[in-house]
Amino acid sequence: MSDYPLIVENLSFRYRDRQETAIRDISFAANAGEILLIAGASGCGKTTLIRCINGLIPRSYKGEVGGRILIHGEDTEKMKLSTISQKVGTVLQDPERQILGTKVLNEVAFGLENLGLSREEIYQRVDESLAHLKIQHLRDRDTFLLSGGEKQKVALAGVLAMRPSILLLDEPLASLDPASAAETLDAVRTLADEGMTVLMVEHRVEDVLRIHPERVMYMGEGEIRYLGEVDGLSRVVNYHEVKLPAEQIVQRAKRDPAPAEIRVLPGAAGPTSKEEALVRFEDVAFGYESDVEILHGINLEIKRGDVIAVLGPNGSGKTTFVKHAIGLLKPKSGRVLVNGKDTKESSVAEIASTLGYVFQSPSHMLFAPTVREELAFGPTNLKHPKDEIETEVKEALRIVNLSEYEQDPPLALSFGQQKRVSIAAILAMRSRILVMDEPTAGQDYQNYMNFMDAILQLPGFEAVMFITHDVDLAVIYANRVLLVADGRLVADGSPHEVLRDFSRLEACRVVPSSLLALNVNRFPQTGRFLRAEALAHV
Amino acid sequence: MLVAWRYRERARSFIQSFDPRAWIMFYGCFLFSTLAFWDVRYLLFFAAIALFVLLTSGVTWNEIRRAVLFIVGFVTIFAFFTFLTGRGGTELYEQEHLIRRLEASFSILGWTPALDITVERAFFGVSQFVRVFSIAIMTILIPYSLNPALYGITFRGLGLPDKIAYAMDLTMRFIPTFSRDFQLTMDAQKARGFELEKISGGLIQQVRKIGPLMVPVTIHAIIGSEDIIDAMDLRAFGIGPRTWLQKLDYKIKDRILIGVGLTILLFSMALSTLGLGNFWVPPQLLVLAGG
Repeated sequence: MSDYPLIVENLSFRYRDRQETAIRDISFAANAGEILLIAGASGCGKTTLIRCINGLIPRSYKGEVGGRILIHGEDTEKMKLSTISQKVGTVLQDPERQILGTKVLNEVAFGLENLGLSREEIYQRVDESLAHLKIQHLRDRDTFLLSGGEKQKVALAGVLAMRPSILLLDEPLASLDPASAAETLDAVRTLADEGMTVLMVEHRVEDVLRIHPERVMYMGEGEIRYLGEVDGLSRVVNYHEVKLPAEQIVQRAKRDPAPAEIRVLPGAAGPTSKEEALVRFEDVAFGYESDVEILHGINLEIKRGDVIAVLGPNGSGKTTFVKHAIGLLKPKSGRVLVNGKDTKESSVAEIASTLGYVFQSPSHMLFAPTVREELAFGPTNLKHPKDEIETEVKEALRIVNLSEYEQDPPLALSFGQQKRVSIAAILAMRSRILVMDEPTAGQDYQNYMNFMDAILQLPGFEAVMFITHDVDLAVIYANRVLLVADGRLVADGSPHEVLRDFSRLEACRVVPSSLLALNVNRFPQTGRFLRAEALAHV
Repeated sequence: MLVAWRYRERARSFIQSFDPRAWIMFYGCFLFSTLAFWDVRYLLFFAAIALFVLLTSGVTWNEIRRAVLFIVGFVTIFAFFTFLTGRGGTELYEQEHLIRRLEASFSILGWTPALDITVERAFFGVSQFVRVFSIAIMTILIPYSLNPALYGITFRGLGLPDKIAYAMDLTMRFIPTFSRDFQLTMDAQKARGFELEKISGGLIQQVRKIGPLMVPVTIHAIIGSEDIIDAMDLRAFGIGPRTWLQKLDYKIKDRILIGVGLTILLFSMALSTLGLGNFWVPPQLLVLAGG
C-alpha cells in the first residue's frame, strides 16, 4: 500500500459555513502511471476532494477535516502548502483563474522562480515543459491573447515545469473546443504513460474515455458510488446522469421505454410568416481595433422556428458574432436588423425585450440578495406587470430546477447553479428569441439535458440560438447549424448537411462524437438526427 | 484573469530606451519636483519635459486619444471650477486684483449672483492646469511604455521585497482588469434591460440603483483575488527568496537619466526652500488691473 504515490483514507470534510459535509468516507489509492477519472453530478464533492489533496483545504478553505491523505507515504497535514505543491500539481477548471504571468514564458516559469532555482535551470525546465506539450511557439506570446485551448495548455505547462509526481485536473476541458480538448487529453495520457499519477475531474466522460483511463471513480452526494475499471461504469451509473458513449447508451436504452418526443418551440407555430426574418445580418464586418478585422462579411437570417447551434473553435468570433445580434457590438460595416430595425438605432435594453442573451459567465451579472429578486430584475426593467413577473420568475425557476433556492443568495450557490440562475434570469424576461453562450459549460449532463428540453418546449420563444463546443447538443437539439471559423461563416444548414462532412468539421476543430457518427450512419433510416435513447428504438 | 495595459515595443521611443527602474526613478523625481512649484514659469519647464516625453514616446494619437482627451477635459473643468469659485488658491495669495466683475441681471432674495474675475484667480487656474496636466501626461505614459512582464522585477530592482514587488505587479494590472470586468458586467446588465443613463431619484436611490453594476464587479474582484492567491499558493509563492527570470542591467544612459532626475529634484527642493517658485502673477497684469 505504501508504494502508492497517493493514498486517501476515510477522508471527510465540512465547509465552515455549511451544515452538511461536502465529502464523506472517501478512501482510495492511486498508482503511478494511472489516470483516475472522477465523475459525478455538480455539487457531488469532486472539487472538494481535489482541494483536500492539493492542500487548499484546510489552508485556504476552512472547515472540519476527517481522515488523512498520504503523498509518497507522508501525511499532508504536517506538510506546508509549498511542499505539497512541489509534489502535487493542480490545473483548475478555468485557466483564466490560474494564469498569473503576462507572457507565456513568465507564466510557465512562475513556480520555478518561487523555488529560487537558477535562471539557467528555469529556462531549461520552461523549454522542456513547453516542448512536452508541443507549444514552444507560444513561449514569447502575451497570455491574455491566447485562445482557451492555448491557455489551458500553458497553465498545464506551468504546473509540469515544477515536476510534480501527481497531477490534479479539475474539469480541464470545460472551456475548450473539441480539438483543443482532444490535444489536452493526449498530452495527459502521455504524462501518465511516463509515470505521473493523474486524477481528472470531468463531466465530459465520453471524451476522457477516449484516452483509456485506468479507473473511474463515480461520486454522488459526497461519497464514492463506484470505483473500478472503466467497463464497470456503464453498469452502475444511470445513463441519464453521466454521458456515456452513444453505443453504450443505445444498448442500455433498448431495455427502457422510448423517450417522449419533445415539441420544439411550440410558440413558433403561430400565424406569422415563417419567412419573416427575426434577425438579419447583412454583410457584417467587425474588428475591436481599427486595423484588425475579426468578423468578415457575415450574411444570415434567423427565422421563426430556428433552433441554431453555433459551432467553431475557441477564438473564431462566435461570441463577437452573437453580441452583434443584441446590439452590444455594432458592425464596422454592413448592418444587423432585429425586427426590421437597425441595431445602430436601438439601445441594447430595447433589443433585450425581443432578444434575450445569456452570457457565458454568470458571475458578471449576479448581484441580487435572493434568486427571486435576481430573476425579477430583467422583467422589471422591461416594465412587465408585477403579477406577471411573479409567474415568470416561478416558471423560470421550475425550468432550471432551482425552485427550492428562490430565497437563497445567488452568489452563494455553486458555479453550475449560478449558471442556471443566469439562464433563468433571461428566461423570466420572456423575450421572443433566446441566445445562449455556452449554456452547458460546467454543468453536469443530467441538469443541462433537462433544462435544454424544458427551454425548447417553452411556448414563448420563436427562435433559439446557442453557442456550444458540445457537438451532441447540436445533434440533439438544433434544426440548423452554423459553423464559424476565423470570423467567417463556413457552413449554414441543417444538422445533417453541416455535420456529416467530418473533414470540414475537423478543419474547424470540431471533433465528431460517437452520437454524431451513429446518427450519420443511421440517417437513411431515421431521416433526422436523434438522441441516443431515441436511436435505441428505431 | 489579470489583463495588462496595452503595451508594445516601439522603435525609437525615448522613454522605452531606458531601463524601467531608471524611468520610474526619473518619474518620481519629476513628480515631486513639479509638486514643489506653483509659479507657472517654473511649471512650464516641467510641462515642456512632459510634452517632450509624450512626443518622443512612439505612442500613437489613436492609442492615447481617449486618455489624453479625458485628462485635458478633466483638468480644464477642474481648473475652471477653481477659477469660478475662487477656492483652492486662497492659501497662495492674500490679495486679489479685480479685472472685471460680472453681475447677474437678477436677484434672489436680495442677493445678486456675481463673478469676480481677478488676476490671481485667472492665473491660479492657468498654473493648476499646467501643473496637473504635466503630471498626468507623464503618468499616463507609464502603462503604455513599461513592459508588463517587467513590472515585478522593476519594483524588486527598486529595493522592494519580493512579495511587495509582486503585489505591485498585480496591482498595476488590476486597473485594466477592473475596467474589462466592468464592461462585461455593463454589457450583461444592459442585456437585461438595465439602462444606466435612465437612473433617476435622490443620491441614495441612485447609488442603490447602480448595485447591479457594482455588486458583480466587486464580487468578481474579490473572487478573482482569492483565485490569484490560490494559484500563487499552489505554485509555492513566498516560500523563500525567489529568482526573477528577467534581468535588468543599468547602462550609462540609465545612470545619466537618474542623475538628471535627482539633480532636478535637488534643485527644485533648494529653490523651494529658498522661497522661490511660489505662486506668481505677471506684474504687468497687476498694473492693468489697477494694482
